[in-house]
Amino acid sequence: MSDVSSANYFALFSLPRHLHVDLPALEKAFYAQSRRLHPDRFAAKPVEEQERALRASSDLNDAYRTLKDPIGRTQYLLTLEGVEMEEQSRAATDAARASGGQKKQVVPPELLEEVFELNMQLQEMRAAKQMGEEEPDLRADLERARVEFAGKMEQTQTKLESLWTRWDAAEDADDDAGRQAVKTSMVELLNRRSYLRNLLRDVNDALQS
Amino acid sequence: MAYSDKVVDHYENPRNVGTLDKGSSEVGTGLVGAPECGDVMRLQIRVNPETQVIEDAKFKTFGCGSAIASSSLATEWVKGKTVSEALTISNTEIVKELALPPVKIHCSVLAEDAIRAAIGDWKKKNNVAEGAEAPAAAVAAH
Repeated sequence: MSDVSSANYFALFSLPRHLHVDLPALEKAFYAQSRRLHPDRFAAKPVEEQERALRASSDLNDAYRTLKDPIGRTQYLLTLEGVEMEEQSRAATDAARASGGQKKQVVPPELLEEVFELNMQLQEMRAAKQMGEEEPDLRADLERARVEFAGKMEQTQTKLESLWTRWDAAEDADDDAGRQAVKTSMVELLNRRSYLRNLLRDVNDALQS
Repeated sequence: MAYSDKVVDHYENPRNVGTLDKGSSEVGTGLVGAPECGDVMRLQIRVNPETQVIEDAKFKTFGCGSAIASSSLATEWVKGKTVSEALTISNTEIVKELALPPVKIHCSVLAEDAIRAAIGDWKKKNNVAEGAEAPAAAVAAH
């Protein structure tokens, strides 16, 4: 699969397929390549070549932005590794349909329960607010929820970084079982994170309105 | 993106929003989620133990209009069906009925998952083995 690996973002910047990224090295590689593709250098070249450079430059920007962002590069690596989050969910539905059984949820049930309960609380708070009730505790409840969710978000960041370390080690040791285990944990963590992010956004909205 | 009239109708007048007694042996509860968009959906059914007919269904969904409409429609459709008939409802029928655009197909998948999860919970409570419910053809003379 040399064609794929040569096209992947890590290879583009001559970086190992690690999740702890040497950001200064990434930035340096990005600027060096950007200069190489600068439109001024193609001004005298045929139009096709100018266009190719422009496309390459735009891809380079995408690559840089993706790898610079912690969540972006984790998701990107999972995509490279053949994990499609939505695809995974759809495949589980198909399997359930075929067996007539229940779908294996990609999100742990405890997390769903938690998210559901938090949404219920949030809705109650919003409803009380809409009724114009001057619940003195309401704002305090929302503030507490905000602090709670923000704290949980921070925990996912810490957890993510420890998974990066495990991934990098598995990659260096070419340990396939290790890679598989970390991938599963990363998918779970990203799912949890997207729920938390939405909850946090909703709480912030409720506090502002 | 514009929602279809049917989605808007279910969104503005959702059918069967609410809760059934989770502790009852006749009630099955399904809680499912789509992490891509942060939706969570709870669908509950009350099954007549004699006939295996789903006599009541309630839902509560936190999510976009399409997710709410899909679950609202799902509760309407399962009501009056036997458990095995309800298992034949597929997300493509929901997509068709609500005219969901491709980016919202996962909402219909979620609704199908929720039906299966609720039925699965009911089966577990009543010691009905997977696939051992009364066959659809035997119960329902179409």
